[in-house]
This record gives sequence, structure tokens and C-alpha cells, in this order.
Amino acid sequence: MDPVYLDHAATTPVRPEARDAMLPFLGAEGFGNPSSMHRFGRTARGGLEQARRQVALALGAESGQVFFTSGGTEADNLAVMGAALAARRRGGSMRVAVSAIEHKAVLAAAHAVHRLGGVEEVLRVSADGVVDLDALDAALASRPAVVSVMWVNNEIGVIQPIAEIGRRCRAAGVLFHTDAVQAFGNLPVRFADTPCDLLTVSAHKVGGPKGIGALIVRNRQSIEPLIQGGGQQSGLRPGTENIAGAAGFGRAAELAAQEQPEHASRLTRLRTRLAERLLASVPDLVVVGERAERAPHILNVCVPSADSGALLMHLDLAGVAVSSGSACASGAADPSPVLTAMGIPAALAAGALRFSLGRDTDEAGVDRAAEVFPGVVAKVRAVTGALARA
Amino acid sequence: MPERVLVAMSGGVDSSVAAARLVEQGYEVVGATMKLFCYGDSVPDRPCCSLDSIDDARSVAHALGIPHYVLNFEDRFNRHVIQNFVDEYSRGRTPIPCVRCNSFTKFRDLLTHADALDCDRIATGHYAVARNGTLYRGRDPKKDQSYFLWGIDRAVVGRMLTPVGELTKQETRTYARRLGLVTADKKESVEICFVPDDDYVAVLERHLPVDAPALEPGAVVTTSGEQIGTHAGFARYTIGQRKGLPGGSREPRFVVAIRPETREVVVGGADELGGRRVTLGELNWLTDPLGVGDSCAVQLRYRAEAVAATVVAVDSGLQLALATPVRAITPGQSGVLYGPGGRVLGGGVIE
Repeated sequence: MDPVYLDHAATTPVRPEARDAMLPFLGAEGFGNPSSMHRFGRTARGGLEQARRQVALALGAESGQVFFTSGGTEADNLAVMGAALAARRRGGSMRVAVSAIEHKAVLAAAHAVHRLGGVEEVLRVSADGVVDLDALDAALASRPAVVSVMWVNNEIGVIQPIAEIGRRCRAAGVLFHTDAVQAFGNLPVRFADTPCDLLTVSAHKVGGPKGIGALIVRNRQSIEPLIQGGGQQSGLRPGTENIAGAAGFGRAAELAAQEQPEHASRLTRLRTRLAERLLASVPDLVVVGERAERAPHILNVCVPSADSGALLMHLDLAGVAVSSGSACASGAADPSPVLTAMGIPAALAAGALRFSLGRDTDEAGVDRAAEVFPGVVAKVRAVTGALARA
Repeated sequence: MPERVLVAMSGGVDSSVAAARLVEQGYEVVGATMKLFCYGDSVPDRPCCSLDSIDDARSVAHALGIPHYVLNFEDRFNRHVIQNFVDEYSRGRTPIPCVRCNSFTKFRDLLTHADALDCDRIATGHYAVARNGTLYRGRDPKKDQSYFLWGIDRAVVGRMLTPVGELTKQETRTYARRLGLVTADKKESVEICFVPDDDYVAVLERHLPVDAPALEPGAVVTTSGEQIGTHAGFARYTIGQRKGLPGGSREPRFVVAIRPETREVVVGGADELGGRRVTLGELNWLTDPLGVGDSCAVQLRYRAEAVAATVVAVDSGLQLALATPVRAITPGQSGVLYGPGGRVLGGGVIE
């Protein structure tokens, strides 16, 4: 039987349309350097600018606001560190404020700012996984260079109050960055209508290729580049552009934006079905962030008296691919800092699982996962029990 | 249906080859790497300490076409192995954490996972041979690791597979190279896995309170009771050690005893290091237990020669009389009992 892939928050399959859009730039006609004056360069530049327009349109932004990066991690680093460096250039202090549940790319960038002599401030979240607005106000009082709060959390899917956070940042005259990697494609994301200055997106979460993403930048002067080179992309992100990647991203972004409303309602239905079935077979399952508003593609649960690592292993052997939500690079499941920040006890967080749905998810797949789930839980609980007695 | 085996893959060449041989022998192989410790986590921009080994294990598993998982044993390893390591040094003894890891972590905790995965067997890259429920020394005398395996449950030996036990280290490397495994020429690790740079005192300092007696200064005394100097903590010493002692005597001096109650490190000449008696505690048998009058060979240090011994008492621990004196018998090390053909009979911790 084909394995069931329920780890779309980690990455998604490349859509054939995106792949087709890439191929010309891997071939004899489109291989040129977009900075070259000759016809080969012009062909490449045409492709690059079309991709930029597609991404801009999909995000309700202008082409000139789209800066391609090597992915979400780089875009997050460029936003947080770039804003801190710009503040220092203007004679201000390198202070950044990020939420406790940010992706590691943002947390590590904030920590890097600290190591460069700046200040990193971490905003607490509620038990539902929503950023505390009082903590935000307190942070804004010390005038950070940038506030970074993700639109949708990648582990628990909880939607953050981006509009309200952005409004408060604007009122305080502070730059606001949001990592919209998990939001794009699953929620309506329109840069023009969002009170944020910097926004991160990644291609491979929406059916595009890995190795390309973008930072959407309202004002080029608000951040400093992190790498130096030729003048490509206004010098903000120099280096010969990844045109094939951009072309794939452009097409995938276009489709993701078009399909978003239908996609979201379909995934909401499937997720409800999955949650109901999992709960029916394992009644003491805890759905994380249940009371908060959540993006439709993520279902995070904690299985009491079980260990994520063992659950993942057994599910994989049963042909169901999910994630613990917080795999450290080693692949070992560590207690999730996100769940910890929400005040979930370590013993419960140890059994966290993230099911994440996508375009290729169907009822049969969801049902397969739900079918093998109770058996896997029973096996892993037997292990946990035996180890506790040992 | 082929038998399913869980193979513990550390990311080294031995366990890589163990997995490869099992695949070749037709077993259904599942690879697992135990994440045992992590210092300096919680800093988001630093990689996990054991990440490189885990990556190596993962790429070998991928090359072999077997599934591979990382299991987090940090809490349990800390409780059963690292804590004991610290406690033993605090008691003036010199522990072998690898013995505890085999007894409690690999061949007990990991085996629990093997059960849940319906794995009939468990395999490692140890240089020892498990055959028909009996454990023997590995074929390569320079690599034999049976010394570390005396503490596992007797029933487990029947489920163990030791695919490199009959190989020499050279043969293992040749095999790995032939398969192009990334770990083929990996440097041999000789240190204790959770002790970076062989600096075990740093580990003790991290785990013990600042005023722990084991790390407090004390007297260095001779066997006749004369104080000849001071030391910076008895946990820095082991029996037979020469380094770090006050000089000035004509004959070389060695640590012959550690007295944790008074924090004294006792030194003496080479002639005072030999012993003809040893008592083993925390016994474990892989055969039927020996009784008074039975003889065997006992090995009291890794890579030491085993000496002939006779059981003289079994009431409080196992007391052995040694046929020849053994230098630097060290409490906390293992005494492993061997029978004919290198058969492991059992063992215990030297009292």
C-alpha cells in the first residue's frame, strides 16, 4: 500500500505545473544570466521578472517588493538581522523582539543579534499559543528595531493576531516582520492589506521547489543586506538569481493563491474528520490549540503516556508519515519549545504529533492514518509502561 | 517471512557493518540510533552534540535501504549511566559507564522498543560472539568487547546478534570500504561517549555541587600514614595512577587506595599494588552461577589478561582467589568471569 504523507508543514510535493515552469531555465534557451545584456540574458531576465510578478500578485504585493532568497530561513534572517543592522546604521540600538514560538530561523537570528551586541527580547504566549499583546506593548515601549511574530505557527497551526500586532507596531513606529511560510496558501495573505513591513514566504511549502523563498519588503531602506556582492535585487540580496527556482515558485504561488479558498475549506473538513477519528479511538488524546483560531492544514495532538519518537517510528513502519513538530536536526524528538511556552507539561509534550495536510491529502489517507493510530498508540504505550517499570 | 532485527547504529564503522551484514544475511533490518546525551542544547543556533554520528548512521541506513530512527534516551541514560558514573567517582571508585549502558540502555531499554517493533532480535557492532544463547569473546583479541557485556540479562543473549564478532577490526573496515559506507575510515573513538576530550573531571564538575567532597582538596598519604602532600579532589585519581602525585621519593609511587570518608589518596610502591584476592558485587550470571571451589578465569580490566581464579566464598559478593597477583585491582571496574573457549560466565563490579 502506498504510504500516506501527512507532513505537508515540513514540505510539499512539487506540483507538475511548477516543475514544468522550471524546465525552460534548466535548458538551452533559458540558462542565461539575467544580468547579461545579450539575448540569453534577456530571456533569463524575462523569466525572473515574470516569476517576481507572479509571486507579487499571489501575495497582494508589488513586484519591486519581492526579494528572492534561498528560502524561508534566509528570508527570516534577512528580516531580523537586517533590521537590527539598519537600526545600528541609523545610530539606534540593535534590539529585536520575537515571540517565544517563532521558527528556529527567527529565534536563532534574534540570538545572533544578541551575540553581535544587541538585545533579543522574547514575547510570551498564552496557554492557547497566542502571543500576549501586553508583552508586545511592553516590548514596544523600549523601541526595538523590529518585532517578529509568525502568522501561523508551524507546529500547532495557531493563527497569530497579525493585524492587531501590526497596528500596534505602526503606532509605535516599529518595523513588523511576519513569517508567513505556513500561512501562505492556507489563509488569504495580502501584503497590501496587512500592516506589516516584512513578510517571509517559502516555495516548497506551496508545491514549489526547495531552495527558494522570498522576503517581501515594504521599504528597501528599512533593512541592511546580510551578504555582499553584485547589485542584484537592489543589492539587498545579491548573487546571480536562482531563475529555475523562481519560475517554479512563481507558478506554485500563483496556483496556491488561486486555490486557497477551496483548499482551506477542503482541508478544514479533512482535519475535522481526522481529529474526530483519532479522538474516537484514543479518547484521552489532547488536541493542542483547540480553543484558538487555527490554520486548516495542521493538527497537533499530544498522546498521553507515549513518546513522539516511538510514535513516529511505528507510524512510519505502518506507512503513515507525520512529524513530532519539533524534530531537532538529529531527528530525535525533543520536548517542543512551542508546547513548553504554552505551559504544556513536559510529560504530555513528550507525546506530541503533528499531522499536516495538503493538496494531495484525501479522505482515504486520513482514514488510513486514523485506522493504524490506535494500534500504534497501544504499542508505544506498552513500551512506555515497560520502561517506567524498568 | 524473514526475522526482523533492530540494530543499534551508533554512526561508527562497527555498527554500520553489523547492519550491512544483517541485510546481506537476509534479515529484515530496522536501524536505530539512541540519542543519549546533549550538552549545550537550548541554544537554537548550535547543533546537537551527537548530530554528526546520527547523520552518519542515517546515511549508512539509507545506503543499505533500511529504515532508520533516532530514539531519545537522554533522560534514561542520564539516570542509569551518567548519574552512576558521577556517584561512583564520588565514592572513590572508577566506574565503567559502557557496562551500565549495555546492561540498562542497549540491552534493556532498546530491547523494549525492539519488542514493540516485533523485532525478534537485537544486534550491535560489539566485538563479541553470541551463539545459541551463550556469549563468547570476539575473535579479534585486540578488539574483544565481551568485557563490557557481562551485565546483560541472560535471556537476552539468546536474542542477540553479533555480526562483527567474528571479524577483526581490519576485516570490518575492509567490508565497509567494499560497500562504500561513509563510516569505513572513521577514526576509532576510544573515549567515553559523553566525556568530551577525555576530561571526565569536567563532567563531574558539571554534575556535582561545587562543594562536593570528591572535588575538594585532601591529603596524599603513604600506606604507613605519613602525609606527603595534598591533592585537588580524590575523584581525579584512580588505583595504579602515577600522574599528579607529589614527587621526591626514590621509588615511583602509585595510588594504592582512595578513602572517600577522609578524602585521603593513599600512595605506595609498585610492590604494594598487587592483589591476590578480589570481591565482586552486583553479580550477573550468563550461565549457572559458580559455587565455592569452582574455577574460572577472571579479567579485571579492559584489555588486561585474564588470570586463573578459584571461588572461595559466595556469601557477600563473589570472592575469588587469584592464581597470580594482579596489579592495580580497582573498585568500580568490572571483574568478568570466563570459561573454556572464551565463554562469558558472568561478572560483577569490583568492591
